Amino acid sequence: MRAAFYAVMVKELRQTIRDRRMMALLLVAPLVQLFVFGSAANLEVEHIPTAVVDHDRTIDSREAIRRLLADGTLDEVRVDVHGGNASGDAAPDIDSATRALVQGRVAAVVVIEVGYSRHLTRSASGARGTPARVQVIVDGGDPNRSSVASSAVGRFFQAVGADVVTTRIFRSGPQSGVVGTGSGEVSLAPRVLYNPRLETAVYMVPGISAMLLLLITTIIMSMGLARERESGTLEQIQVTPVSPLVLLVAKMLPFAFIGLFDWILATVVGAYVFDVPIAGSLLLLGATLLYLMNTLSVGLLISTVSATQQQAFLGGFLFMMPASLLSGIMTPIRSMPDWLQVLTVVNPVRHYQEIIRAVLLRGVGPADIAAQLAALAIFGTVLSLFAATRFRKTVA
Amino acid sequence: MPVLLLVLFGYGVSFDADHLPTAVIDDDGTELSRSFTEHFFASGEFERVEAEGLTAEHAEDLFQSQRAIAVMVIPRQFGHHLMRRESQSVQLLIDGVEANLASQVEAKAQPVLQSAVLAVQHTSIGGPRMMATRGPIVDVRATMWFNPASRSALFLVPGVVAFILAVVCVLLTSLTLAREYERGSIQQLFVTPVRIPEILVGKLLPYFALGAVAALLVVTAGTWIFDVPFRGSLPALVLATTIFLICVLGQGLVISVVTKNQMVATQVATMTSMLPALLLSGFLFPIANMPKPLQLISGVLPPRYFIDALRAILLRGNGFAEIAPDLVAMSIFALVMLVVGIRRFSREIA
Repeated sequence: MRAAFYAVMVKELRQTIRDRRMMALLLVAPLVQLFVFGSAANLEVEHIPTAVVDHDRTIDSREAIRRLLADGTLDEVRVDVHGGNASGDAAPDIDSATRALVQGRVAAVVVIEVGYSRHLTRSASGARGTPARVQVIVDGGDPNRSSVASSAVGRFFQAVGADVVTTRIFRSGPQSGVVGTGSGEVSLAPRVLYNPRLETAVYMVPGISAMLLLLITTIIMSMGLARERESGTLEQIQVTPVSPLVLLVAKMLPFAFIGLFDWILATVVGAYVFDVPIAGSLLLLGATLLYLMNTLSVGLLISTVSATQQQAFLGGFLFMMPASLLSGIMTPIRSMPDWLQVLTVVNPVRHYQEIIRAVLLRGVGPADIAAQLAALAIFGTVLSLFAATRFRKTVA
Repeated sequence: MPVLLLVLFGYGVSFDADHLPTAVIDDDGTELSRSFTEHFFASGEFERVEAEGLTAEHAEDLFQSQRAIAVMVIPRQFGHHLMRRESQSVQLLIDGVEANLASQVEAKAQPVLQSAVLAVQHTSIGGPRMMATRGPIVDVRATMWFNPASRSALFLVPGVVAFILAVVCVLLTSLTLAREYERGSIQQLFVTPVRIPEILVGKLLPYFALGAVAALLVVTAGTWIFDVPFRGSLPALVLATTIFLICVLGQGLVISVVTKNQMVATQVATMTSMLPALLLSGFLFPIANMPKPLQLISGVLPPRYFIDALRAILLRGNGFAEIAPDLVAMSIFALVMLVVGIRRFSREIA
């Protein structure tokens, strides 16, 4: 029994390691993913191409435009006037600005309406009147970018308004109804814990480790088994006195090792390159083993239903896409609709992702992640029992 | 599968969250601070967890057990300062583990806090007249074109089309040819009188058809399920899709001819088509903010141009003139892939 187990495992290991290109890829792929995810998955937007139309044409409006563009969120793009060349200081009119928006050359148009300066001065002197008007037209094709653009403009002009109020209070002295000296402003002092600089890499890297393990242990393992079926070597092993269960475990182990190796690689590189903290090693190892039990069983299940490597790949892909999309690795689970949030409860990737981030970044103990650990253990047991039964049936 | 992916992306991929679980540590404990808290949660952006009697030590616990992602600390004398109209600050502790979510919390808290303060001042202390009763000093009107409801599905559908085509065409093409190499049946093909272009066309055509059907399916499903508009020219869409399909099929061909092994082909295809289509194409994350080397890679690969063209056609109603640069970029890539693929393929036979 033990000899058979050992023999099959050595054979699997040799076979996997012998394929040089495959081994190289298994080492390079995690690093590439780590760098790409770590630096590309960032939603921050800056330098939004913007056309500015100044209908007011006063010192105040020009000053407002200059300061609005100064912080780098919006970048002014010169749009041609009436299709001709923007020569000298010919400011764009509304038509050419919106045409640029339709053509996709700018993502936002800011229009300062006539009377901006006049209304602002009137408000500053305390007179009641109509507010100064500013219009923002944004390209809604990218909701994230457009909300950044419109809120940047909104915040800027709110501050302009607040300035006007403050100067008025100081100029007119204490009024009735206003006690004290300050403007009564309540400011927000945000303090971000665990990831103070809000670096994307710090929370993406643990997520990527979860995805890597998933990729290697489901897709690659199911393809490996399907390859044996394609080339007929699986049947050859079946006629040997090796029992299906031994065969199964011995076949899974090399992939589990490769997965663990890649996981360590990603964690170490993440720690050195992206400053991801490392903490709670033993707890993580336990959680990772439980997670592997889940993903390996899924890989096995897929291989039992696929006859070719192509099918195995598609099957693995069909599992991996929803599992990683609905895991909270890339987008917060909270922002999904309720019915999808319920679905994520049966997703092992979600639980593992929560554990790994909580342990690495928040430094929690076992008590705080007991629910996730239990979920992984339950799913793992059910899945592996199911997969083993199916495997035995297909082999026997 | 394409429709399943569309539904997943359309519903599952959203970065915008509300009802963010937030706890309050009220060190002031006055009528005013309670009224302020009530107004703060009235907007629905934040949802209150753990009602009363929290102290500073609880904050860490709340984050570690993931019961809250933000904790607001109302300072002692809050109501007193508010009455006297003295400047003060309210601290907001944020769990920064999910960086994108945390920066959203930070951005959302600011306006919610301001309006809660105004509301308290107005109702409880009679309010400063010039702020509460008058309108804003500067009235900013924002209009959203092409997507007035700001729905992310409209933004994502073009990306899903490109992603599915990249996966289906690159991966399946590279797998099917690599399989022939693995089994040696490719030699059998070579000895038949069928000529190389005929072999290739015969091999690639089914996947071209498959890709075209998938594209059609996703665009149609997108317009039905998510109300994605179709404002631009249909011929432009067809042309852009055709060129993109040639790009990805060519890429699959090159991968299979070079690797000749299904497992290696899968890995290479995942790295060069699936990953870039998902991350480097502007599908989910803005390209302008990536580091320069990644921007360069993104500039070489076709998904970026295809997504750009699709958004232009579907949402902004553009035609050939506006997407011409995208078409040219994709054509160059397609040409390079086909030439390299056919060259390598012919050399095997000779």
